[in-house]
This record gives sequence, C-alpha cells and structure tokens, in this order.
Amino acid sequence: MEKIIYAIIANKGNPPQVNEIAQNIRGITGSNLYALNFENISVAVSDIPASKFIVSKELALDFARVIEELSQQSTLLPIRFGTVVKSDEIIIQLITDNYTPFLNNLAKVENKHEFGMKVIWDYDKCSEKIRAKVESEEYTISSFSSKSTIHTNYLLEKVKKHRLEDALLKHVEQLIEEITWHLTQINPEGKFKKMLSKSIILDGVFLIEKTKKDEFIRAIEALKLLHDDLNFLITGPWPPYSFVEIAIDKD
Amino acid sequence: MKENVIDQSKDITILELLDRVLNKGVVITGDIVISVADIDLVYLGLKLILTSVETMQQRRLTIIKPNQPKQ
Amino acid sequence: MSENKILLNSVPVDEVKEAIEKIENAVTSRINATPDNADHGLAQLVLTLIELIRKLVEKQAIRRVEGGSLSEEEIERLGETLMKLENKMEELKKIFNLTDEDLNLNLGPLGDLM
Repeated sequence: MEKIIYAIIANKGNPPQVNEIAQNIRGITGSNLYALNFENISVAVSDIPASKFIVSKELALDFARVIEELSQQSTLLPIRFGTVVKSDEIIIQLITDNYTPFLNNLAKVENKHEFGMKVIWDYDKCSEKIRAKVESEEYTISSFSSKSTIHTNYLLEKVKKHRLEDALLKHVEQLIEEITWHLTQINPEGKFKKMLSKSIILDGVFLIEKTKKDEFIRAIEALKLLHDDLNFLITGPWPPYSFVEIAIDKD
Repeated sequence: MKENVIDQSKDITILELLDRVLNKGVVITGDIVISVADIDLVYLGLKLILTSVETMQQRRLTIIKPNQPKQ
Repeated sequence: MSENKILLNSVPVDEVKEAIEKIENAVTSRINATPDNADHGLAQLVLTLIELIRKLVEKQAIRRVEGGSLSEEEIERLGETLMKLENKMEELKKIFNLTDEDLNLNLGPLGDLM
C-alpha cells in the first residue's frame, strides 16, 4: 500500500498529540491519516493504493481540506499535492536527512498565516498616463539606424514595446514599495509577482502573525483609499504554502 | 446579481486553493516518488534547463524580508 | 471550506471574471494531462519553453539595439532574425492550436516565468 504525504508538522516533543490529531482526520481516499514521528517532527500520511491516485480537481481540493484541518491544530509545512511514496521507511528517511532545514522552516512559520493579495487595474484607463509618457519620448528609427527597412521598423516597434513594459514594471515596483511601507508595523515577509497580466499587476503573498490579521486588512483598506484606480483582492488565512523553503530531489 | 457574487467568491476560493496545493508547498521529487502525472517528469527536466534562465528573470520577482528587530 | 477566505474584494464583478480565467488556465494545466490530450499537453509545454527563450532573446537583443553598440548591418540582421523567430512562433501556435494564454503556463514548481 502506497503512502501519500500531506504535511510536515512540529510536534514539540509530543508525538502522541499529533498522532491523535491525525487519526481523527479523513484522508483523500477515505482511510484516516496517521503520523510518522522522528524527534520533534511528525509527518501526516495516509494509505493510498497507487491505482486510486489521479491528479483531479476533486482530490486536490480534498487534499487542501486535509491540510486546512491539520493546520488548525498544529504548525505545519504543506506538501505539494501528489507526493506518493512506497513506504513509511522512505518518509522517515526523508525527515532524518532533512531534519534541520525542516525544523528551521517550521520555526519560521510558527504562529503565522499566509495571506494572498492580488492588485487589479483597468489597463486601458490606468496605464494611459504611462503610455502617453513613453510615446512622447523622442524615439524613432534614426535613434539607432539610418535606414528605414521592414526590419528596422520591426525593431522600433519592439523597442517601444519594451520601453512600455519597463515603465509599467517600474510603476508596479513603486507600488510594492508603498505597500511595504504601509505594512511596516506588521513587518511581514512578502513575495510579489509583477505584471501577471495586463490587468493583474501584482500577485503577492505575505507571511503574517496570526494576531495581526485585522491590522493587515485595515492597512490594505487604507491603501485602497489612496488608490481609486486600483482594486484589491485579499484572501486568507492560508497555511504557509508559499513560504516553504525546501525542495528535495531524491533517487 | 447577488448569486453571481457568491458563485465568484466560491470560484476564487477554489482557484486560490488549487493554485497552492498544486504549485506550492514542499516539493519532493526523484525516484522515491511514484509519479502518477508524467507531466511532472517533464517539469523536472525543464528545471535543469531553466535554472539559469530563471536568474535572468529575477527582476520579475521581488521579495521583501521583515526588518530585523531593533536592539 | 467552512471559513470565508475572501477578506477584501473590491474588484468589480466583471473584472473578476478575467482574473479568474487567467488563474484557472495556469492552475488546471497540471490537472488536465490525460493520455488522450497528452500530445496537446506536451506541445503546450515545449512551445511554452521555446516562447520563454524567444522572449528572453528578444529582450536582450532590444537592449543591445538601444544601447547603441551595434553596427547598422548588425541591427538589420538582428531585426530580420527576430522577425523570423516571431513569425515561426506564430506558425507553430496555429499548427498546435495554442493561444498566448496557453503559453503562459505556470510550470509547476518553477512558477510563473513570464
């Protein structure tokens, strides 16, 4: 019987407690979870016949449900969906080999939640000023070549396109600075992806102390008041999926 | 109209969840993992090629770290 | 999920739709791989990689053009090459019936690269 791994858990020297938490949670194929333990780390696992495992939306969402239930009762690092191994022994070996990194990562996320933030704007409206500024810059073919050919014209369009992209990126970077400043009191770790699309200009995640959730929402609301043209989508609290610093490649 | 908003809230939540559970979290790969989605093997191969490429893309990703507490 | 996970949402209803679709593409690409559409999935993956490299090459090339260190002949050849590359990409996209959206895959653990 194969095993699917759900999460790495800090057991604080009390493995029986984690055992009990695990056993009361239904796994994605019906059988309940159990915990494997090594010193101060436990791993939540359930049996799964390899034949029953497929990458489906339903199973993935159910997997998320398990993580959520676990995270309400412990400090954990979620495992990516679909990590199926042959035996308990392999899992114990993984913990032993990566004990300190796991422990450090667990300490980092203790008492914290992950929050997501997407910033969305109406591209046509909001980028108008930036586009106008880039257009007004004196840049023609003669800036780089004396000949007007199909190819130099093509390059001109590309240069203008990249200049616009750079200008937009700079604008978003300024926004990130502003957001960071607004969150100074909360002092989170954060990661941002810029210009996900024309309209999703920022996709960020924050690791924030559980007690500071309301403060965080208020800070973003204050920020929103300063930016009529921007829309914010805040989600959470989530288990710390995005603040896992461990990737293991083992043969 | 109100139904629309509720449906959307559900959709958003589902997508946020799927994004996290499929693309984030601790990644364990290698022979010890029984690969059920072959596409993962291709991802692994790509990883080798794209590591250096990712460095060039670094400007796409910004990370902020918490300030050190004042002494 | 018993708890409401949306803490703030000021996005107008119709704009959410686009955002949702964009994320859905990235997310479900990992789910939809079946033996039947494996070909399509593989083409999508390969072309995404090629497109990524093409965009990076383009970016570097354009920087050099702007930088002023190239001769006119070099610039002309560069323009020609870039144009051909882009045209080839468009051809491939048509052949495999892929859109720009398809080629911005969230490549699993590699994250959004474009």
